Amino acid sequence: MSDEWFTSKRDEFMKWLYDENRRRGLSRAVSSYTAARDYALACLPHLEKTRREVRKIKESAIEQMDELRRIASERITESHGNAYFARDAEEARKMFEKLVGSNKTVVKSKSLVTEEIHLNEALERNGNKIFETDLGEFIIQIRGEKPTHIINPSVHVPKEEVAHTFSKLVGREVKPDIQELVGVAREYLREKFCKADIGITGANVVAAETGTLFIIENEGNARFVSNAPPVHICITGIEKIVPALEDAFKVVQVLPPYATGILMSAYVSMITSPSRTADIEKTLVYGAHGPKELHVIFLDNGRSRMLKDPVFKEALYCLRCGGCMYECPVYRVLGGSFGHNYFGGIGIIWSAFTAGEESVAAAIDACTKCGRCKEVCPLEIDVPKMVECLKSRLVEKGYLANRHRIIKENILERGNPFGE
Amino acid sequence: MPQKVLYWKGCMSRFRTKSIADSIERLLTLIKVDYTTLGENEGCCGSVLYRTGQTSDALLVSKRTIDKIISLGVEKVVTGCPGCFRTMSQDYTNTFKSVPFEVQHISQFLFNIRDRLKDHLQPMDAKVVYHDPCHLGRHMGVYEEPRALIKMIPEVQLLEFKYNRNKALCCGSGGGVRSAFPEVSLEVAKSTLGELPEGTEIVVTACPFCKYNFTEANAKKIQIMDLPELLLRAWGG
Ligand code: SF4
Repeated sequence: MSDEWFTSKRDEFMKWLYDENRRRGLSRAVSSYTAARDYALACLPHLEKTRREVRKIKESAIEQMDELRRIASERITESHGNAYFARDAEEARKMFEKLVGSNKTVVKSKSLVTEEIHLNEALERNGNKIFETDLGEFIIQIRGEKPTHIINPSVHVPKEEVAHTFSKLVGREVKPDIQELVGVAREYLREKFCKADIGITGANVVAAETGTLFIIENEGNARFVSNAPPVHICITGIEKIVPALEDAFKVVQVLPPYATGILMSAYVSMITSPSRTADIEKTLVYGAHGPKELHVIFLDNGRSRMLKDPVFKEALYCLRCGGCMYECPVYRVLGGSFGHNYFGGIGIIWSAFTAGEESVAAAIDACTKCGRCKEVCPLEIDVPKMVECLKSRLVEKGYLANRHRIIKENILERGNPFGE
Repeated sequence: MPQKVLYWKGCMSRFRTKSIADSIERLLTLIKVDYTTLGENEGCCGSVLYRTGQTSDALLVSKRTIDKIISLGVEKVVTGCPGCFRTMSQDYTNTFKSVPFEVQHISQFLFNIRDRLKDHLQPMDAKVVYHDPCHLGRHMGVYEEPRALIKMIPEVQLLEFKYNRNKALCCGSGGGVRSAFPEVSLEVAKSTLGELPEGTEIVVTACPFCKYNFTEANAKKIQIMDLPELLLRAWGG
């Protein structure tokens, strides 16, 4: 096997390691995150109990993943929405292509699942105009980059760089003042929300028994996206479904402090059906002030395979809070290059199942297996164990770094890794 | 009659951080521990192979090592390397159910017979921070013994990293990263050293990998020592 799989990742690593701008952006984010999270956890002592309950909820929900999807889909359909099941990324893209059509204006709020299925590229090919409205996503969209953190996708871009990017966008000098930068995005995106034909969001958790989608956010953009356009399409992984509303509320409590170090997010939207009214003669019609149509796509794309694998099943419990990424000593220096479509240790596992094991064959060799991610994870997911197991599978397939092969030969022949 | 102890040096201390092995041997002699080593025949515990996914080779190598130790007839293996310690305790028992010898990290071993050290440690006026090695701390749960030993040195001031024990940062050299991506390993070490508490004079760790990597990354020229080296210095060695 050629070692392209290894050298190309190494090159990517080097670009990150020695890019002062990115490293600065990242380290500012790490220190504000850790300080805020520590404070939030100190303010919410009961969260210790809640996060343990959430672990239990996920343990049992994941066992009934298919059944919960069936129930959620039924309930969504009953409430005049449309539910779909996409086995893989291609099926999901096809569904979107059909629902969106061509030459439309689309606004999106942050959704890693849409990154996972490469949605934007597919929609743009049909002449659709896509606007990312989450500030971080917006920044990297106009910079033509890829997200580098699941919660804070532009974590690697310091304010000076954002100012530079925005100045070009609006054709006037924008100062590297964070308040001002946010203002520019607000002004630019405001009319897009109202003019858009379609709004696309993800969901953080779904309650099966009522078919309710929960969207947790701080910027208020997801509210616009899911509310202003006449059509709302939501795509989410099948692992996000929990049995009941009360389970979902527990997840809602755990996510914000671990994700961004706040006690509770500014907004939590709960969406159960298209907008409707029966105010005139008690006759129910759909499409009041909010969308007229609601489409929910549940995506598998490797998740059922994870469920069947006793070692990797635990990865499905992941809430995508992103806490373990900021806390990962390797992510802190490698940022978005440490992984593939998802980042950090858990991201390596997710990438392996959603984009193929080869996609992380080299990145996994940068994991020191220090085990810190497991300690900071609200669900105590044993990521290091999964990483070791995945590594061993990759070695069986021939993905063994040259240096590791030499070490092995030295050990077998001379009894020590140095060959001395 | 004290049971015979095998001091297992581990590859790092045999070839790269020899002063750790020398300090441990000197300490064991000073406190009159009846111990033996495997000398040139020590071989490999298999840790690197387990950690880099080379599982079948790891099994082969660890089987050889287990047989070698059994043939020595020792009941206890003591090592200064948390990598060897974890592999011999966890990986061996996971794979071979049980092994007929007990494995301890040097910090546990010395802590248990700390009375023999106590009266010999000279005052040392220094601000020392202890770095928890991942394999010793998070993976094996040994947090307090090394700290207790440091605190036995009169006048030493023990500082803590903001994130310590199970939340400690990483030296960057574990899991085969140092060999696969040396630059990454070094940057991780630098970023961890960037979190040193104010006034630190000596960084003490209890792992040859950490000591080696921190020494390489040490721009501030702060002192980096392994626990047995510190204890030996306090003894006046
Ligand atoms: S593994 Fe745990 S800490 Fe990391 S993103 Fe998932 S839930 Fe959050």
